[in-house]
Amino acid sequence: MRRRLCAALLAVAAAAVLAQEQAPAGSVERGHQAYMKYRCYSCHGTVGQGGERNAGPKLAPNPFPWAGFALQVRTPRQDMPPYRREFLSDQDLADIYAYLVSIKPSPAAKSIPLLNF
Amino acid sequence: MSNEGIDRRSFLKGAAAGAAAAVGTQLAANAAAAQTPKAEGKDPTPAEKIIGRPGSDFMIDVIKATGIEYIASNPGSSFRSLHESIVNYGGNRKPEFLTCMHEESSVAMAHGYAKAAGKPMGVMAHGTVGLQHAAMAVYNAWCDRVPIMMFAGNFVDASLRRPGVEWYHCVQDPALLVRDFIKWDDQPGSLQHFAESVMRAYKLATTPPMEPVLITADGALQEHPIQDEAKLFIPKLTFSVPPQGDSGALKEAAQMLVAAEQPVIVADRAARSQEGVKRMVELAEALNAPVVCLGGRMNFPTTHYLCRSEDARALVREADVVLLLEVADPWGQFNTISDPHHEYRRLAKRDVKTVHVTLGDNVMKSNYQDMQRFCPVDLSINGDAEASLPALTEAVKHALSGTQRAALAGRAEKLRAQHREMKDRTRALAAVGWDARPVSTARLSAELWNAIKSERWCLAETSGVSWSRRLWAATEYYNFLGHAGAAGVGYCAPAAVGAALANRDQGIVTVVIQPDGDLMYAPGILWTAAHHKIPILMLMHNNRAYHQELMHLQKMAGLHNRRMDTAGIGTTIENPEVDFAGLARALGVWSEGPIADPAAVGPALSRALAVVKRGEPALIDVVSQGR
Repeated sequence: MRRRLCAALLAVAAAAVLAQEQAPAGSVERGHQAYMKYRCYSCHGTVGQGGERNAGPKLAPNPFPWAGFALQVRTPRQDMPPYRREFLSDQDLADIYAYLVSIKPSPAAKSIPLLNF
Repeated sequence: MSNEGIDRRSFLKGAAAGAAAAVGTQLAANAAAAQTPKAEGKDPTPAEKIIGRPGSDFMIDVIKATGIEYIASNPGSSFRSLHESIVNYGGNRKPEFLTCMHEESSVAMAHGYAKAAGKPMGVMAHGTVGLQHAAMAVYNAWCDRVPIMMFAGNFVDASLRRPGVEWYHCVQDPALLVRDFIKWDDQPGSLQHFAESVMRAYKLATTPPMEPVLITADGALQEHPIQDEAKLFIPKLTFSVPPQGDSGALKEAAQMLVAAEQPVIVADRAARSQEGVKRMVELAEALNAPVVCLGGRMNFPTTHYLCRSEDARALVREADVVLLLEVADPWGQFNTISDPHHEYRRLAKRDVKTVHVTLGDNVMKSNYQDMQRFCPVDLSINGDAEASLPALTEAVKHALSGTQRAALAGRAEKLRAQHREMKDRTRALAAVGWDARPVSTARLSAELWNAIKSERWCLAETSGVSWSRRLWAATEYYNFLGHAGAAGVGYCAPAAVGAALANRDQGIVTVVIQPDGDLMYAPGILWTAAHHKIPILMLMHNNRAYHQELMHLQKMAGLHNRRMDTAGIGTTIENPEVDFAGLARALGVWSEGPIADPAAVGPALSRALAVVKRGEPALIDVVSQGR
């Protein structure tokens, strides 16, 4: 398992080097619409908070670097289905990323009385 | 008017005798008897005929002798005499007839009740259509190792059946439909036989591994007069002592655990009482070993420093000895298969030593694959986990040398720190999306906890939203009642109502985080809760989709290289959105919602709790995140 994880991380790192570090320009509003249209929220939550029972990891705030994010969406590891270009355009993907980047952090757990008992 | 019972079979036989001689065949004779006016002065007219002491009265005496307090049922003609005997002869008390609107609800209600009450509820159903409706819920109970006493009505004597519906509702072998997933069944041919079989069934159902059982109550036996009542007797109900695992094997297990550097205890349906929880704590503390509770039952206090359920994967990966206690899927603790590519992956070390204390091998059948993948273990102990724990703990204490004892004590500080880290991690994750709309599942769970934490509480279903097991401080066995067993949708709502019924007299507030899709299977259970004044707080997890299935559609689209934006077709519950508060009101249940603002959930829960505390059900509809 560790070997696979390392391989995946190396792949992400390599892609990050090869790809542009900067994410392409995207629209937060269109990104939110695409995020909902493609039902990313079903596993990752509407604000990228992640899903229950390992349904989908947390995506926001502070999403993965763009290259790793794009690589995971196009050629995912583990159980996530691939979202290929013919069905999710590069622009849609950039917009979704812009939406995730725009998500503000939630209050810290320590500041939420209901989580401190 | 005669009080002597004259059964219909005797009546027809007598009336037919003369006619048979005239026309030559019994069939013609019966037909003629049905059309020929009776001879004057002999038999009473149908209106005059009375059966003052039907067989069903004795059946109720038998059922009362088991201590069954409730019988959940949708009424049906094949057990109409039993029904009437419950109501009039038995005074509708112990057992009380619970009106259900679907047999699946009846059985699931009995399922939840049994886990909360620690004893079975009765269920009555038609031998055909009733059991067909009930089947999935019976399968859930089977997989969840829960005792249920089921009674099926049936007219085995075809000559007594009315034409039409009664034939559709009769069957040669009623239990056949569910025999693959019940422990035992019988179709008694006499009232004495009924008495003995009910006692046997109850004993078998409540002997670990506990399972549903089925007794067919023949319609004629129910409706005909009792013959020779003085000869009938009800056998004493006796119980089997739960089987403890072999002492030598438990000692061997203890030695393996004591010698381990990183032992882990994985418990699924190990405890079935507070005593069981206490025994789990004693074993874990004796070993200073982390405990992973898989949630089949409330096995271990979530507040204890050895509770490490969320670290299950990491713990098993590093473990050198794993003790499994009544784990339904042992193979799945050490291995996995990816989805959708079905790639195998080992999670644990190749040389990890494994011990399993289980009675699972005793109830395995062939057809339904609930046995899970075969998992070879180093030491398989055929025994009841709860019953075996004291001997195992003693063996552990006995096997420990002074040096080992000191080494184990040295683990405690690190384990306490790891427990705190796990809890901090969980709270940090719960905070993400705290103010999101729809309401996050973590917020949903935290708001509910805040509403009930000062009460004696029971969460009737604990797998749908796992945050509760992760965030709540659970120390009592009755706090968490596990899950359906077979993941059959439609369990949650009726099982929660059944649990609430059992908890009603114990002063325990029952709550449930209720999935929308589950409630839509048979929402009539809300009416049952209202009608029988069963206090339960249902907090809707109304995510307006079957999100698990939506994900499967996405996976298949990805696998087939097709568009992904159609995954909502057939998997969403939108357009129109279900008005659960309106639905609840229509069925007599106090309700509020839909609520989309997370800040509004807490105040609504306070109002709902006040309703529940005055003895009524309440439902809060919250529009929630998918997961």
